[in-house]
Amino acid sequence: MISLQHLTKRFGAQTAVDSLSFEVPAGQIVGFLGPNGAGKSTTLKMLTGMIEPSQGTATICGFDLRREPLEVKRRVGFVPESGAVFESLTGLEYLEMVAALYAIPQDAARARIQQFIAFFDLSFETLTDKLLGAYSKGMRRKVVITAALLHNPPVVFFDEPLDGLDANAAVGFKALIQTLAREGKTIVYSSHILDVVERVCDRVIIIDKGKLLLDGRPDELVAAHGTGTLERLFTKLTGGSELERRAEDFAKTFRP
Amino acid sequence: MNAPSDTPPPLQAAGPALSPGRTLRRLFLTLFLRGRSSRGLRKESAPKSVGSKLALALVFYALFGMFALFFLQQPVFALSVYLHAMTLVFLGMFVAASAGEVLFNKDEADILMHRPVTPRALLWAKIGVLTEVSLWLAGAFNLTGFFVGIGGKDGGWLFPITHAISTIMEALFCTGTVVLVYQLCLRWFGRERLDGLMTTAQVFVAVAAVVAGQVVPRLLIRISGTIKFNAGSWWIGLLPPAWFAGFDDAFAGRGIRSSWELAGFGLAATAVVLWLAFGKLARDYETGLQTLNEASAIRSQRRAGRRWVDVLVHVPPLRWWLRDPVVRASFLLTAAYLVRDRDVKLRIYPGLAPMLVMPFIFLMQDHGRSDGGGFGVAFTGGYLGLIPLLALNLLKYSQQWQASDMFRAAPMPGPAPLCHGARQAVCWFLTFPLLVLFGLMVWLLRGENLHLPLLLPGIIALPIYALIPCLGGKAVPLSLPNEEAKSAARGLSMIGVMLVSIALSGLALWAWSGGWFKWLLLVETVLVIAFYVGMRLSLAAARWRPLE
Repeated sequence: MISLQHLTKRFGAQTAVDSLSFEVPAGQIVGFLGPNGAGKSTTLKMLTGMIEPSQGTATICGFDLRREPLEVKRRVGFVPESGAVFESLTGLEYLEMVAALYAIPQDAARARIQQFIAFFDLSFETLTDKLLGAYSKGMRRKVVITAALLHNPPVVFFDEPLDGLDANAAVGFKALIQTLAREGKTIVYSSHILDVVERVCDRVIIIDKGKLLLDGRPDELVAAHGTGTLERLFTKLTGGSELERRAEDFAKTFRP
Repeated sequence: MNAPSDTPPPLQAAGPALSPGRTLRRLFLTLFLRGRSSRGLRKESAPKSVGSKLALALVFYALFGMFALFFLQQPVFALSVYLHAMTLVFLGMFVAASAGEVLFNKDEADILMHRPVTPRALLWAKIGVLTEVSLWLAGAFNLTGFFVGIGGKDGGWLFPITHAISTIMEALFCTGTVVLVYQLCLRWFGRERLDGLMTTAQVFVAVAAVVAGQVVPRLLIRISGTIKFNAGSWWIGLLPPAWFAGFDDAFAGRGIRSSWELAGFGLAATAVVLWLAFGKLARDYETGLQTLNEASAIRSQRRAGRRWVDVLVHVPPLRWWLRDPVVRASFLLTAAYLVRDRDVKLRIYPGLAPMLVMPFIFLMQDHGRSDGGGFGVAFTGGYLGLIPLLALNLLKYSQQWQASDMFRAAPMPGPAPLCHGARQAVCWFLTFPLLVLFGLMVWLLRGENLHLPLLLPGIIALPIYALIPCLGGKAVPLSLPNEEAKSAARGLSMIGVMLVSIALSGLALWAWSGGWFKWLLLVETVLVIAFYVGMRLSLAAARWRPLE
């Protein structure tokens, strides 16, 4: 479903993503992890056609990212980390605009939006009357997730999707992506909340400085490295082993 | 999550999907009219300032366009040159000011770039909106001109039709030229430098438009006594408005050879600009949009250095002036936005440009008067007060207004120190440099410094002018969304200051000629001190106003 072949992105002299290659079959939920600045968001932006790779390519649902970017875009849904929306549109106006970009007829779009309203426990009046600028962060995130799934894409990229969602919405969202994966959708899930990744994902890919560090099932990787949890494995791999001691030392500086 | 039984009432059924092109055009027009961000709670009560401003602008343009009545019974070419020149200035300012935000919006990349739309479709939709709004403005301004042309010396019923066509051509030429400049800058300098470059260019366009519209005609009249427009003049072919006026003259006027040549030149220039901007260089726009996503990565590679303003606040006299750390922090914040922020710069500097022109006009009128004049100098001094007043009013608005929540979270009883910091930044970076410029202007235009003291009454009143926008703690920098900018209220305060300036100038001149100027300065100083102390006390007592 997703296949990366030496995908590389350079910004001047800096290599953000360095010859990344891996494949993700249909129906899999992949946790895409890395410390800040590892190249996760850049990779996701390349895979969604937002920025052009400097080298290498990727295919999504058999379409080459470089040669057929529009075909790729029709088949992917993306929840960006920024959660950006057009704040001066109402939720409904925004979602209808997104639906139109995927050529979804208005009747079908409204029926689909209705389902999301019900699922996400959004107030109908809020969606039709309030401008997105007045939404809470969680409500806005729900709209962004709805906008990513509205056209029923076979591949979905989530970049910190739980940011701003309350506990109930987060539980519902996790169940939703697991069900979507069971029905054949491919899901790439980038997050810093590693216990959620450990519970939800079938597989994790850890990158650092743009390079692939580790790829495998979370339980197998944790067992193989004897770290007990994915979080400990992550900090071990990405140079965070001294963090707890450093945090303690730093906290001492706050003593009166 | 809701159970299916809780399903809300069905949304009304609607028709088939709009095409992506139409969807994008509708989207960008809505965003243009409503503004990009909003904190309005409901759709009905949402700030529609941009939309209402546009409606007001159309009325204003239509009223301004009535100056075309002065061209009754004049040749079509002269009327058309006037109409097209003014249209080009207005549209140039409008498109230059709007294009950056419309063409390159960072948030928009995250929302639209992963959708199945091509950058070319985005570009076309945006250009469509810019052109559409340009045409509304041009139509409003030319409304009177359409009818005046019918009654022109060599005009007729064909004029409204040809002028409508030439105005559309001009709007396309204007939009195309601005987009082309953006694309060329992108190609030559890259997206990272584009922002700063275009901001500077836009400020210069605004200043140049005011100077060209107000100062140059006065200078020309002063030099040659009058301005004569003739389609046969060799230099007229260098002026784009003349090309489009040539079109009108060719079809609805005299139809002489030089008019046809100008019309041909206008058509060719418009076609070339459109071909380059929307065809040949469209690929550069795609690159620009992509680089927009990469901007943060590139920016991080910049060399970090200490800002000159950071150094400045730690050496006298600013160190003495900015002893309070909150005032200093607010000063630095305001200074940073005055220098760096594109949005703030685009509001402040083009807003101040007309300020420079008014004293210039009064000084020009003053020049060469047998009684020695002096009113222009006094008016220039009084008019300085508009600078802090206008700048502080404009500095309240920012795209990042939500970040100002930190002011309320900080342990401060009220917004007074923030207002003082902003006020002092405006004084140091805008008012004082312009004071020097005005002084130089007086000296150069009058060729003597005898009347320079007439600037003093205005200068002495400056602290009061600078405190007026702060009263009630209202001048907290960058704390309100752009959409809440109330231009009408600003206009009223400007008129108020202008009247006070005129009154003060008259009084100063009276005192000057009556020999009691020193007494006037003394009384004014005492009054200013008393008012200043009272206003500062009032500001110190101001508390945070409740959030909506």
